[in-house]
Amino acid sequence: MKPERLADEELMPLIAAKDGAAFEVFYDRHGKVAFSLAYRIVGERAAAEDVVQEAFISVWRSGARYDRARGSVRSWMLGIVRNRSIDLLRSKTGRTPLDFDDDSILEHREASERTEEEALRNETAEEMRGAIGALPGEQSKVIELAYYGGFSHSEIAGMLGVPLGTVKGRMRLGLEKIRGDLAEGLV
Amino acid sequence: MSAGHDGWKDEVAAYVLGTLSPGEEADIERHLAGCEECRRELRWLRPAVDRLAEDVEIVEPAPDLRERVLGEVRADVKRARPQKAPRSSLFRSWRPVAALAAVALIAAAVAGYAIRDGESGGPQTTTVVAGKPPGVTATMVASGDTGTLKLANVGEMPADRVLEAWVQRDGKVEPVRALFVPDRSGRASTTIADTRGVEVVMVTAEPRGGSESPTSPAMVTLEMPG
Repeated sequence: MKPERLADEELMPLIAAKDGAAFEVFYDRHGKVAFSLAYRIVGERAAAEDVVQEAFISVWRSGARYDRARGSVRSWMLGIVRNRSIDLLRSKTGRTPLDFDDDSILEHREASERTEEEALRNETAEEMRGAIGALPGEQSKVIELAYYGGFSHSEIAGMLGVPLGTVKGRMRLGLEKIRGDLAEGLV
Repeated sequence: MSAGHDGWKDEVAAYVLGTLSPGEEADIERHLAGCEECRRELRWLRPAVDRLAEDVEIVEPAPDLRERVLGEVRADVKRARPQKAPRSSLFRSWRPVAALAAVALIAAAVAGYAIRDGESGGPQTTTVVAGKPPGVTATMVASGDTGTLKLANVGEMPADRVLEAWVQRDGKVEPVRALFVPDRSGRASTTIADTRGVEVVMVTAEPRGGSESPTSPAMVTLEMPG
């Protein structure tokens, strides 16, 4: 059967067996959203392209060690891209580049340099969309800082000046709301 | 559900978002091992986090990204074809190189497990471990002509430095164009695309963008078995 007609889960054993055609189908299905996610996190096209290239090649060369227990193949792949993007973002912490625009510069500063004012500005930025955009601001803010910014809960608490327990509680309420909307087909 | 459990469920949310410290992660994982209610909460919330990955504006990548990725894949496939016969012995040309063996090799194990390669047999897998905690440790797993190098206990790197991997073939050190950085827990990994004829693998800290030759002492050195 042609790889195009196979489900992602069926492509994985072929990719593990170094079937280039199966990998091409896999890339075509997920490459664009992977790039979009990496770009959302690292804020630079060239860096996002490097992340995507390294993530997909690591999957190819490591034999596509996909774990069904973790969820869908797409979620697994995007999780790899997200983690590599965050690692890159954090490796740059402390550098203040001169050529970043206002929207991306927040992501390249030391956590302690990020002020509540910046966090609030980020909250109103155009990234407030889809599932997360439907959340109350205090919940979407902590989830955005955690998931797309790679901040720990203690860093977020420090930035926002709220107790750790409040940050975790907001994370939970926000995720519960998104999960509920997913279950009802609202997002 | 007890009031105390609300606290654990908050921890589950922070855990599934990946915001806990390693110690806190260990705590919640111990709790999860014995609490079905929290495991159910984890299973319930995970799709919400997965949804966040899709909750981004779709941006077109540069047209050549696809070719860059698939070009590497095609090159790997092409390289693998004529290599099928001699796969039974990796790193044939290994020779000890004392000058580069700054970190003791503490274990070397050769395990043979087959993964599908389209023919009978399959590539041999070789695992080499070097270093000793709390210092930097390294594990190199070579399968076929490709290796995966994993480091632990690297610690934080200055923002202007990256890790760079090097290989030695026939006594000559060459870069493998593998630049990488440690994550929050001090772990880092990279791929060695071509392990044929490699005698030694080592890692140094280099200026961002990499170097043509090592500019700092090797933080870890692995001697590959012949």
